[in-house]
Amino acid sequence: MATHKFDVAVVGTGPGGYVAAIRCAQLGLSVATVEDDRPGGVCLNWGCIPTKALLRNAEVVTLLSRAGDFGIRVSGFEANYAEAVQRSRKVADRMAKGVEFLFRKNKITLFPGRGSLKAKNVVEVKGATATETIEARAIIMATGSEPKSLPGVAIDEKTVISSNGAVRNERAPKSIAIIGAGAVGVEFADVYAAYGVQVTLVEALPRIVPVEDEEVSKELARTFTRRGVSLKTGVKVASVKPGGPGVVIELEGEKLEAEQVLMAVGRSAKVAGLGLESLGVQVERGFVKVSPHMETTVKGLYAIGDMAGAPLLAHKAMAEGVVAAEAIAGKSPRPVDYGNVPSCTYCRPQIASIGLTEARARENGREVTVGKFPFTANGKAVALGETEGFIKVIADKATGELRGVHIVGPEATEIIHEFALGRTLEATLEEIIHTIHAHPTLSEAALEATLAALGQAIHI
Amino acid sequence: MAVTKVVMPKLSEAMESGKVIKWLKKEGDRIQGGDIVAEVETDKADVEMEAFGAGVLRKILVPAGETAPIGTLIGVIAEPGDDIAALLASAPAGAGAASAVAPASRSATVTPSAPPASVMRPAAVTSAPAAAVAGVVQGQGGRVKASPLAKKIAAQTGVDLRLVQGSGPGGRIIRRDVEAAGSSAAPAAMPAAVAGAEFEDIPLSPIRAAIARRMPLSKAPVPHFYVTSEVAMDRGWELREQLNALEGQPKISVNDLVIRACALALMTHPGVNASLQGDAIRVFHRAHIGIAVALEDGLITPVLRDCHAKPLARIAVESRDLAERARNRKLRVQELSGATFSISNLGMFDVTEFSAIINPPEGAILAVGSVRRVPVVDDTGLGVGRRMALTISCDHRVMDGAMGARFLQDVKRLLEEPLRLLV
Repeated sequence: MATHKFDVAVVGTGPGGYVAAIRCAQLGLSVATVEDDRPGGVCLNWGCIPTKALLRNAEVVTLLSRAGDFGIRVSGFEANYAEAVQRSRKVADRMAKGVEFLFRKNKITLFPGRGSLKAKNVVEVKGATATETIEARAIIMATGSEPKSLPGVAIDEKTVISSNGAVRNERAPKSIAIIGAGAVGVEFADVYAAYGVQVTLVEALPRIVPVEDEEVSKELARTFTRRGVSLKTGVKVASVKPGGPGVVIELEGEKLEAEQVLMAVGRSAKVAGLGLESLGVQVERGFVKVSPHMETTVKGLYAIGDMAGAPLLAHKAMAEGVVAAEAIAGKSPRPVDYGNVPSCTYCRPQIASIGLTEARARENGREVTVGKFPFTANGKAVALGETEGFIKVIADKATGELRGVHIVGPEATEIIHEFALGRTLEATLEEIIHTIHAHPTLSEAALEATLAALGQAIHI
Repeated sequence: MAVTKVVMPKLSEAMESGKVIKWLKKEGDRIQGGDIVAEVETDKADVEMEAFGAGVLRKILVPAGETAPIGTLIGVIAEPGDDIAALLASAPAGAGAASAVAPASRSATVTPSAPPASVMRPAAVTSAPAAAVAGVVQGQGGRVKASPLAKKIAAQTGVDLRLVQGSGPGGRIIRRDVEAAGSSAAPAAMPAAVAGAEFEDIPLSPIRAAIARRMPLSKAPVPHFYVTSEVAMDRGWELREQLNALEGQPKISVNDLVIRACALALMTHPGVNASLQGDAIRVFHRAHIGIAVALEDGLITPVLRDCHAKPLARIAVESRDLAERARNRKLRVQELSGATFSISNLGMFDVTEFSAIINPPEGAILAVGSVRRVPVVDDTGLGVGRRMALTISCDHRVMDGAMGARFLQDVKRLLEEPLRLLV
């Protein structure tokens, strides 16, 4: 059993881990990474990236089916779901290779295998053939999270699947019940519906995408219903049992049958079996407790990404990876601003938001002003034939501070960043309206929504 | 013709409101650009207000003797035919009456200065006085790095951004800095005054209010340390008497010697001539020295610029002029800020020694005691000598004890070998 010495060891190479590793290397530290899957983690291999490929397929299918809107007559086409999944695998492979390339470029050593802590500065890697030991001055844990299920419902990845199965299965079911209407739930609902699967979306809370602004939920519910997705909100699942075409789901006072059920009720941090307990690392409500510089309660041991707490988002993990790396290198990095993390959902229409919802912004009694602008009044959106949705800007009435922005509509996930930057720089409504937005762009709707908050919208 | 708004000008960054001492023009008088229309008392000085537009002084909204927050419309200049009804209607009702009393609590006088959102400002109307005067202050005070939101909150809560430590990148002032400064600076609301023989509540004069507001901004957030040294002033005293015996030469005070000594020492110890600016220390290459002048109702620190480049005689003339004009409240705006170091001298009050509070964002202040005749022991035995105590208060974030001590040692040497002050 060989022992290797490094400045830093990073356990897990998802978006948090690989970014932390690269940043450490940039800062002149020698870095070892440990991964029991392909580099890139869930994000690149099984989450963000392959699902974006599938959603793009869904978009192409939808465009083809409404080609007539553009005066294009398509006489019959076949959308092969297996090929869509194969394409998404290729996309994921390419991105994972990209991470491997970045590791080589930055002289980062990859140890394939399962890593666990033997001491606060020792990682043991159980590989396929051998066990190796890494001794490091600092260790960054970035082991991520895995799909949760409901109590009493076991995920077999056959009839009861998680996103892990959904992203791998080359055969789409005829019907599917998706339990949980958060980002994962609505994205798969979009993909399956485009491929003709009969989709039922079940949500325990009163509305789909429940963390988003209420008006956003309403808009998405409207278009999903129009596309034939059946929505059951405010209902709890009593049981999931084999039967009928595959599964029978018992809701409160109602039975639902489907070939498959997709559990999309959230993710839980992978904190067990890593040796955290024996080192006395404090874990709170399932997440590792960390300082603003991502250090756990054990000195020299850091935790980032999903395992370090909400929001469970790749870009938040990356930001934490940079903070941890810089802290280890002796810099004093700016802590992650958790109040300013954009949240993006890639169903059609896309959803992007930052800051507070209108309801939350009104909670503390401060007066707010709200501006809203629909994409139906935006020239670029009309030309694209993508007029669903709107941009909603919520600002503090007295100061014009951007309290929250909610976008549902075409390329919402790209448009959000001017508001993210604005909030970082503490811009107010005025700085946004004095920024000339090119015409014609979807981003003009951002300008107009901001103007609307000041009662000055031009194009509506 | 354009309508010109006459607004309460912002004459210093710390100024929140001003009092109209008197109007030099009456309603109906014709005014040329550049005419002095009124005199305004600020927290620091009395200032003459120039008209920036021509026309007739149509309306006086804030009569003499009343106070108004900065930015308040206090008068309107327009041609007789111009309709100013809308402008008058938009002026805060009873602009003067609302703030006629001296500021008992800060928030009360600050809130009426409501028009911070520039979108609300009628574009056609010029508000030249405020803009022009503010430009002067900004120009010499340097750019304040602050986020748009921080600036807005500061304007609404009356926080002086120059006194705020920025915690953003490069010392940029962000929202939380202004909020922290606002909460620490806001004095508790004063309970209603009870009439009675037991005590009397004297409303704060503008200058006393400014001191009350600014000093805690120094003492609490600025970690002070103090270094004291005793200077043998026998030779300095002798030199001064010789200089003052020269005919046709200005009278030199002990304080002038101290100013000159400090100016020279600051050049060799730039670390003391410095200011904390966020995450950087700004080291000044010029010695602009603030000279504390006691007034009846407070204290003011006019700035003597470029002391390092001025001979003793010039320092003597200019510091006397500054002090006199400070007492008569005739200081010019640019003389009120921009010091890199300050000197406070209580020597005339027979004070052995004392320590002063730093005036942020300066990094240090020197407190000068009296020149006392004391028994001294030297080679020949017991004799009588003149001694003066100097105490420097330093911002520990900017410098350390040794740095302050070395500076003080140099000041002492310059004063004890006073010919050095003349070369």
